Amino acid sequence: MDGREPLLMLDRVFAGYGKMTILNGTTASIRPAAITTVIGPNGAGKSTMFKAVFGLLPVRSGTIVFDGRDISNLPPRALLDAGIVYIPQGRNIFPELSVRHNLELGGVALSRQAEIARRIEAVMRRFPMLQEKADQQASTLSGGQQKILEVARGLLLKPKLVLIDEPSIGLSPLMVRDVFAILKDLRNNGVTVLLIEQNAKQALQISDYGLVLEQGQTRIEAAAPQILADPRIAQLFLGGGLLQPEQVS
Amino acid sequence: MASFIQLLISGLATGAIYALIAVGFTLLWQTSQTINFAQGEFVMLPAFFVLAAMNWGAPFWLAALIGIAAALVVLGLLFKLIVVDPMLRYGVLPLVISTIALSLLLKESVKDFYSAQAQAFPPLVPDADVHLFGAVVSTQSLVVLGVAIATVAALHLWLNKTRTGRSMQATAQNPALARILGIPVQRMVLYTFLVNAVLVAIASILISPIYLAKFTNGETLGTAAFIAAIIGGFNQVRGAILGGIILGVLDNLSAAYLSSQYRGAFPLLILIAVILCRPQGLLGRVEERTV
Repeated sequence: MDGREPLLMLDRVFAGYGKMTILNGTTASIRPAAITTVIGPNGAGKSTMFKAVFGLLPVRSGTIVFDGRDISNLPPRALLDAGIVYIPQGRNIFPELSVRHNLELGGVALSRQAEIARRIEAVMRRFPMLQEKADQQASTLSGGQQKILEVARGLLLKPKLVLIDEPSIGLSPLMVRDVFAILKDLRNNGVTVLLIEQNAKQALQISDYGLVLEQGQTRIEAAAPQILADPRIAQLFLGGGLLQPEQVS
Repeated sequence: MASFIQLLISGLATGAIYALIAVGFTLLWQTSQTINFAQGEFVMLPAFFVLAAMNWGAPFWLAALIGIAAALVVLGLLFKLIVVDPMLRYGVLPLVISTIALSLLLKESVKDFYSAQAQAFPPLVPDADVHLFGAVVSTQSLVVLGVAIATVAALHLWLNKTRTGRSMQATAQNPALARILGIPVQRMVLYTFLVNAVLVAIASILISPIYLAKFTNGETLGTAAFIAAIIGGFNQVRGAILGGIILGVLDNLSAAYLSSQYRGAFPLLILIAVILCRPQGLLGRVEERTV
């Protein structure tokens, strides 16, 4: 662990849907300028954790601290302003709007129109594919191109933290590599990335840290190579479960 | 040929009015899952606002503006605050039933508090005939067509050329994502209700000189808008426009050339054909459903 303060901290967070509690006291410390991959079996609470952080699901107890500030239960708009963007699973585009207008809507949280236009140009220079297809309907993009659009739209706000849920779903291996390369590039530019991936092995290979969730609790928080080498991870994904929760911090 | 053009133009005029109503209908559905079964009554009512204002002595143009303003408040704001917001929490079905109840309330209220008689309604322009491609066409039809086209064009421009309009479209196409991006979803939904109120008020002012203002007008108009929206594609504004136009033209042509007795059946036949062959509507998009 480097000595730096975590950018995002969850402290005994409880959250869920109706009578179901999914996060059972989740605790985590996400380090800045690093990629952290959250892994765990289905239903472990990975996506729920993201929704709780991004204010889409009420935190029933516990606290979420971002950048030294308690952000528990703030609405998405306030979190965007604080520097967090969230890219959910699946297709997150407005299919009948053009690529350019899809990008532009990523800048709603910015107040200055001129600044939005400037940042759209910058993002398009970075991803020339978006420039080429700027005036096409977003629905005409391939799955991978749509994912790149989503990431690019997130970058419009120059976030400190990107929460990205299963970006590789439905993408070709080549596209997955591209998307992962973008995430690595973000990290190298000082952005903190919190990633959920079914494709755990590949994701951990590009990650600095890994976080293993099971039944809404953090079982392991450690450097990514350490988790990759951990024989218990295979066991966990085979449904064995961990007997002893391990705290690393 | 001359009579065909005549029928076509009056059909287009009726269709353009249906289109206005259907567009509002689909907008409400898209942004707030409101299937408004009172949409027909929403078109019936503003005419009576206008008539009431004229009874108070307002000239027609002022009365028309008052009618639109009253529609904004009653059919836009109050409809959302009093009916939709509280009911939507319980799901789409309770809301649908509430709009059916609202349609009855509006109809019966107009009958009891205004009149059960059909009321003459002033036309936008004095009635006259013009010759167009050898056919005799009423200025009424042309004005209706012109105003309806201008309204849809203005709406289209607003939705596509302004950031607010695009945020509204975004809210309609994917409300969950709109929220994640920080778009003020609730405000966009309110705008949709206000837009719908303006559309039905304009439709009301256009159609009432032709059909007279009567408390039962909503019955046929609501059904027409519903059918138009389904034919065109429930999730598409341009679908609703196409559906409305098809319905209006078809209604006029089939009454003249096929059978006026079965005129009411043709739209339903088309509806059935569309639902069987292309359930998402002519221009509709297949909606992905999450299980």
